[in-house]
Amino acid sequence: MRSSLQAVALWGKKAPSHSITAIMITDDQQTIVTGSQEGQLCLWNLSPELKISAKELLFGHSASVTCLARARDFSKQPYVVSAAENGEMCVWNVTNGQCVEMATLPYRHTAICYYHCSFRMTGEGWLLCCGEYQDVLIIDAKSLDVIHTFISSQSPDWINCMCIVHSMRIQEDSLLVVSVAGELKVWDLSSSINSIQEKQDVYEKESKFLDSLNCRTIRFCTYTERLLLVVFSKCWKVYDYCDFSLLWTEVSGSGQCFAGGEVLAAHRIIIWTEDGHSYIYQLLNSGLSKSIYPADGRVLKETIYPHLLCSTSVQENKNQSLSFVMGYMNERKEPFYKVLFSGEVSGRITLWHIPDVPVSKFDGSPREIPITATWTLQDNFDKHHTMSQSIIDHVSGTGTVGVTSSEHVPSLDKLICGCEDGTIFITQALNAAKAGLLEGGSLLKDSLPYKVLKGHHQGVTSLLYPHGLSSKLDQSWLVSGDQDSCVILWNIFTEEILHKFFLEAGPVTSLLMSPENFRLRSDQVICCVCSDHSVALLHLEGKRYLLHARKHLFPVRMIKWHPVENFLIVGCADDSAYIWEIETGTLERHETGERARIILNCCDDSQLLKPESVLVVASETHKHKSVEQRSSSAYSFGPIPCPGLQVESSCKVADAKSFSGPFKVLPVKTKWSNIGFHILLFDLENLVELLLPTPICDVDPSNSFYGSEILRRAKSTVEKKTLTLKRNKTACGSLSAEAQAKPIGENPAQGDNTVKFLEESDGIKRQKKTKNSKKMHPKPSRKVDANITVDAAKLFLSCFLPWGVDKELDNLCIKHLNILKLQGSVSLGLASNEDRFSLMLPGWDVCNDEMKTDYSKVNLFSKKVLDLSNKYTSTLPNQVGLPRGLENNCDSLQESNTLVYLLSRLFVVNKLVNMPLELACGTDRSFKMESVHNKAKSPGNEILTFSSFYGYLRNGKNESHIPEADISLLKLISCWRDQSVQVTEAIQAVLLAEVQQHMKTLSKTPVNSQPVPMTEDVHCEMRQILQNTEWTCGEEVELQCTTDTGPLQTPVSPVKHDSNSNSANFQDTEDMPDRCVLEESESPGISYFQICKWGVCYSLWSYILAVLLRKDSRKNGSLSTKPSLPFVR
Amino acid sequence: MATAMAATAAERAVLEEEFRWLLHDEVHAVLRQLQDILKEASLRFTLSCSGTGTEAPAKQENFILGSCSTDQVKGVLTLQGDALSQADVNLKMPRNNQLLHFAFREDKQWKLQQIQDARNHVSQAIYLLANRDESYQFRTGAEVLKLMDAVMLQLTRARNRLTTPATLTLPEIAASGLTRMFAPALPSDLLVNVYINLNKLCLTVYQLHALQPNSTKNFRPAGGAVLHSPGAMFEWGSQRLEVSHVHKVECVIPWLNDALVFFTVSLQLCQQLKDKISVFSSYWSYRPF
Repeated sequence: MRSSLQAVALWGKKAPSHSITAIMITDDQQTIVTGSQEGQLCLWNLSPELKISAKELLFGHSASVTCLARARDFSKQPYVVSAAENGEMCVWNVTNGQCVEMATLPYRHTAICYYHCSFRMTGEGWLLCCGEYQDVLIIDAKSLDVIHTFISSQSPDWINCMCIVHSMRIQEDSLLVVSVAGELKVWDLSSSINSIQEKQDVYEKESKFLDSLNCRTIRFCTYTERLLLVVFSKCWKVYDYCDFSLLWTEVSGSGQCFAGGEVLAAHRIIIWTEDGHSYIYQLLNSGLSKSIYPADGRVLKETIYPHLLCSTSVQENKNQSLSFVMGYMNERKEPFYKVLFSGEVSGRITLWHIPDVPVSKFDGSPREIPITATWTLQDNFDKHHTMSQSIIDHVSGTGTVGVTSSEHVPSLDKLICGCEDGTIFITQALNAAKAGLLEGGSLLKDSLPYKVLKGHHQGVTSLLYPHGLSSKLDQSWLVSGDQDSCVILWNIFTEEILHKFFLEAGPVTSLLMSPENFRLRSDQVICCVCSDHSVALLHLEGKRYLLHARKHLFPVRMIKWHPVENFLIVGCADDSAYIWEIETGTLERHETGERARIILNCCDDSQLLKPESVLVVASETHKHKSVEQRSSSAYSFGPIPCPGLQVESSCKVADAKSFSGPFKVLPVKTKWSNIGFHILLFDLENLVELLLPTPICDVDPSNSFYGSEILRRAKSTVEKKTLTLKRNKTACGSLSAEAQAKPIGENPAQGDNTVKFLEESDGIKRQKKTKNSKKMHPKPSRKVDANITVDAAKLFLSCFLPWGVDKELDNLCIKHLNILKLQGSVSLGLASNEDRFSLMLPGWDVCNDEMKTDYSKVNLFSKKVLDLSNKYTSTLPNQVGLPRGLENNCDSLQESNTLVYLLSRLFVVNKLVNMPLELACGTDRSFKMESVHNKAKSPGNEILTFSSFYGYLRNGKNESHIPEADISLLKLISCWRDQSVQVTEAIQAVLLAEVQQHMKTLSKTPVNSQPVPMTEDVHCEMRQILQNTEWTCGEEVELQCTTDTGPLQTPVSPVKHDSNSNSANFQDTEDMPDRCVLEESESPGISYFQICKWGVCYSLWSYILAVLLRKDSRKNGSLSTKPSLPFVR
Repeated sequence: MATAMAATAAERAVLEEEFRWLLHDEVHAVLRQLQDILKEASLRFTLSCSGTGTEAPAKQENFILGSCSTDQVKGVLTLQGDALSQADVNLKMPRNNQLLHFAFREDKQWKLQQIQDARNHVSQAIYLLANRDESYQFRTGAEVLKLMDAVMLQLTRARNRLTTPATLTLPEIAASGLTRMFAPALPSDLLVNVYINLNKLCLTVYQLHALQPNSTKNFRPAGGAVLHSPGAMFEWGSQRLEVSHVHKVECVIPWLNDALVFFTVSLQLCQQLKDKISVFSSYWSYRPF
C-alpha cells in the first residue's frame, strides 16, 4: 500500500469468511493466530480469563495458508511466520499486525519449526521447513533466504512432520522427522550448525522405517526424555527414543483419523482427531514382558499401555463433521494455562482449559472436559455491530440485502452497488461512507440521495463502468451482469435500460473491457467471462454480440488481446490456451502445455486479466510495474478499476492503478463468498495537493475535477519520466501547476546543489504566487469536486481523531473544524512496507486491556498515542501554528486553512515515519539514486535537508526566524520511527496534539479580544520568565506561550523574535500580543496583512511538502527501476 | 437455473431436492470414481496406496533411449519405481568415432524427483478423497468446492511436475549429484542430465570444451534451460566452458503416459463436479456457511 494511503474498512454485517487451516497461540498466551484458506491471517486477542476476541485481519497471502510458526524468540520479538500454498512466506509482527519480511520461494511448506541456538549461532535463527519437496530446508528467520538443506542419504522423500528435541541428558539438539513413506530420520542440530553455515552436506544420523503412512505429528517427551509419540492418521505409536523400539500401537476407531498429539506430562499424552475430538491417556507401565512386538527378535523388557483419562469434543452442531486443526499449548509457568485449541473450517475457534492433573471419573470412565471458550469472527461482528457498518446499509432500506458487487466511480463520486436481489443502487460514495461512520449520520441517511436500477432478476455479480477505463466512452454507460447470465447496459443518468444481452451461459463472473490499443472498427469491446467457462464479446455501440467462445473446459484465468491479428487469447485453469478469431468467431488454435505457456506469455502488453493477482492494495511498486507494462497506451493514466481479479484469485483487492483520487472506495471480496466489504482509501498526499491553496488554485481557482485530472495525468507522466530516466525537461503540456511540473525538471540524477537551487527559485516564485493567490482565495467559488475533497479531508480527520480524550476538545472540533464525531471506533488499516496490510476488525478497541476501563474513549489506537501526543506537544514550537488565534467570524476559510494545515502536518509525519521502510525496500533495487540515498539514508541527513530550508529562509528572506523547535519536532518524529511507532499511532498522536493546540487557541481567542487583555499578558509574561528559567518544564507552559505568540511569529513580522532562547526579546514578545489583539479586534474580516502572513506561513510548510513530494517522485523512479517484484514469479 | 428466481414454490422444492441428491449421492459417486482412477494412477507409480514400503522392491524396467536422427548416444536406463538404479550410456565421439562407455555405480540409485513428487502429489490427493468417504455427509456446496480445489491443486501439481522439467543452469547440472553417480567418473568434458518430459524419459549429454582465457569470444553465461543448445557458456570452478555438442535421447515410459491420462481425466471430473455444484450456487450462497 502506498505510504500516504490511509485505509478505513467498512465491514458490513457479515464477517468475511475465514476457513481456518492453521492455528497457533503465541508464547505469551495473549494472541491466537489463525491462517485461512482465503489467505488471510487473523489475530485474536486472548484475555487472561481465556476470552477470545478477534482483533485484526492480516492480508498478505494470495493462496491458502498452510502453516504458522514462531519466527523469533518470542519474548524479544513477537514475530510469527506464515507460509502459503503458493510458496509465499511472510513474517508478521503480531502485536501490531505489520508484515516485517516476506518472500516467495518455489517451495510449499507444511510445517515450520523455529530453531535458535544463541551461543553457537549469529543472526536471528533458522526456520526449519518441510513440505512438498525432499528433505528439510533451512531458511534464515530474518531474511527468509534459503541457507541450506538437511540431506538424507537414504531414500530422500518429502517430509510430513518434524520436531526438535532438546535433550538435557545428551546436551544435543536433534531434529526428528518422518517422511511421507513413513521413515523416521534424525539429524544432529546443534553440532551441525557450523557445517551448515559452511554449506557442507549434513546427512541424517539415524533412520528407521516406522511401518505406517501419513504421519501427522512426532513429539518427544521432555519429561522422561525417553518416549517418542508418533501420530499417524490411522494409529498412534509410542517408541522408546533410545533404540526406537515400539512400545505401543493404538489403532483409531471407526472412521476416525488422528490429526495430532502432544505430551502433557511424564507418561501422559493427548491425542486429537480431525473431527475435533481429543483424548487424554495415561501411559501405564505394564512391567510384564508382553511380546507384542517381537519383530526385532528380542523380548522387550517392559511395555506400556494407555488408559483413557479424559476426552474433549466440540459442540454438537451441524458443522460437526468439518475438519479441524488443533494444537496444544503446554505452559508450566504460572499465569499461563494448559490450553487445547482448535480451529474449524467454518472459522470457529474453541478452547479447552486442560487441568494440570487430568483424572478420570471415580468409576474409571473417562471424564469430559468442558469447552472453556469458543468464538467466531461473526460473533465479533454481532457484538460490535456499530463498527460493522456497511457502506450501503441505510440505502437498501432493509439492510439485509448483501452487496454482491460494487464499483466506485471517483470522477462522479458515485458508488454503484449491485445486490443479491438484483437491484443496483447508485449513491454518493462519500456521503454514504459518512452516513455509515459518523454520529449524526442518521440525518445524512435520510437525506442521502440514491437511485435504484431495477432490471435484473437475480443477484448482480459484476459491474463495469466503461468510462472509467476509457474516457472516450459514454459517461452515462454502466454494464452489469447477473447470476442469470443477463448483461444489461444502463444509462445511469436517466436510469433506463439501453440494452439487455442474454448470454445463457451461467452467472457472469466478470466483465472486462478491451484495452485501448485494441479496437474493433474503432470501438472497444466488452468481454464477459461466464461461469460455464465461456467468454462472450459484446459490442456496446452496436448493441450486439461479436463472439461467444464456448469451448473451454476449465475456468478462464486469463484473457489477452492480439490487436494486430484480431485474436482473443484465452488462458484456462488447466494451463491450456485457446485462440479465437474475433471477426469470424472461430477457434483458431487450441494449445496445451509448454506451447500454451509461451503463447500466454508472448503478448504481455495487451494483458488484461491477471489470474493469480497478488493481493495488492495500492502498492507503489506494483503501480509502477503496471505503468511499465502498459506504457504503450494511454490506458494507464485513467483510473482503472482493475476488473479481472475475481477469477479465483483469493482476495480481490484492486491495486494502485485504480487509485488516483484523494478518496476512493475499494470493494473487496474474499474467495468462496460473494459478499464483500469496502475499504475507504484516503490519499493524504493527494488530499494535501488538492487542498493546498498554492498555485494549483492560482491557475484554476475553480479547481474543477478536470483540472485535477490533468494534474494526475501530469503526475503519471512525471513518474514515467523519472521511470525511464529521460532527461527531458519539456513535456507536461500547458500545465502550469508548478508543484506538479517541477519534478519533471528535477532530474533524479542531479546533485544536491542543483536540487537546492531549484528549490530556492521554486520557493521565491511560490511565495509570490502564494501572495497573489491568497488575495483571491476567499472566493467561495468551488465546484462540487472541491467540496468532495474538503469532505474527504474532514472524513479522514473524523476517522483518525481519537475522540473522547477530552470532551471539550470534541465539541470544539465539531464546532470549529466542522467535522462530525464517530459513531464508534472505526476499523483502521495499517499498511506494511510493501503490499501487505492489516485491517482492524470490529471490536479491536476492546481487545486492548488498558482501554477496557475507559469506555468514553472512542477510536484511540493505543495508549501509546497519548504519550506520544504529549511528547509532541512538548516539543511543538511556538511558531508554526499558523492559523491560530483567529477570530471566529471567518469560519469557512479558517476551517479550510486548518484542514490544510492539519493534513499537511499529517502527511509530513506519515512520510517521516514511513521513510526508512520504503527506502529499505528501495535501497537494494535502486542503483541510480545516489543522491537520494545520501540524503535520506539517515534521519540526520534528512533533518539537515530541512534545516537547510530554514537556513535558506534566513538568508534569503529578511532575517526571518529559524524555528529550532521545528527541527526538534522533526527529530522527534524521526525518533519515533526508530522506536517502531506505528504510522497510525504517530498520525493519531500528532493529530491529537495539533488539534489540542489549535482548539485551545480557539477557546482562548474570545478572551484575547476582550478589552482587558492585560491579565493575559501579564500571565504570559510570568509564564515566560518561568519558562526561561525552567525551559524543560511542562507542556502547559508552552501551550500558553504558543497561544499568545503564535500568530506573530510569521516571517513577515518585522520584529525579530526569539522568545525561546533569548530573554532580551522580552519587550517584543510583550508588544506583539497587544498588537495582535488590536488587529483582531479592529478588523471585522480578515485583513490583507493577515492573509499575507498566512500565505507566507503556508509557504513555509509547503517547502517541506514540496521536498517530500519531490522526494517521492524521485523515490518512485528509483523503485520502478528495480528489475522485478519479489512476489511475482 | 434461469427460472430459479421466478420459479414457483414447487419448482423450488424440486430444485432443492435435486441439490440434496447432488450433495448426498452424486458427489460421493464422483469421489469414488475419482479415487478409483487415482488409485489406478498411483499403481502406475508402483506405489500401492494402502500398502507400505515393506513389500518387495519395485520391479525394474529397462528403457533403451535413442533418437531418430543420430545414433551417437545410446543409453539403457533401469527404472525402479522413482529411482534410476542402473544406467549404461554409450557415446560415440563425433570427431574420432571413439566409443565412450560409462555406467552407474552399483551401490547408488538416482531418485527422479519429478516422479517422486508426482507420486506424492497423487497420494496426497487420494488421502484427501479418502477422508471423505460415504459416511461423510457434505452439508454445503462450498465444502465440496473446497475439497475439489484442494484435490485439483494436487493433481495439477502432479501433472505439472511431469510436464515441466526443471530448468537448470549448466553449473547446476555440473554440480548435481548425477554426475557423481558414474563409475568410472565422467570425463570432465561431459555433462549428463536425466529428466522426465511428459511421458518420456530423457537423457541429455553435453560435450564441453574449455574457452581460452584470452579468447576473443564474448563470454556470456547461459541461463537456466531444460535443454541447452551448443554454444552455451558457463563458468565452472575457475574454468570457462562452452557446450560444443548436445545429444538428447529419449524413450517413452508407457505407464507415465497412462498416469498423465488419468490426471487429465480426473481433473476434468473434478471440474465437472464443481460446475454441477455451481449451477446451484444461487441457492447455497444465500445461506450462511
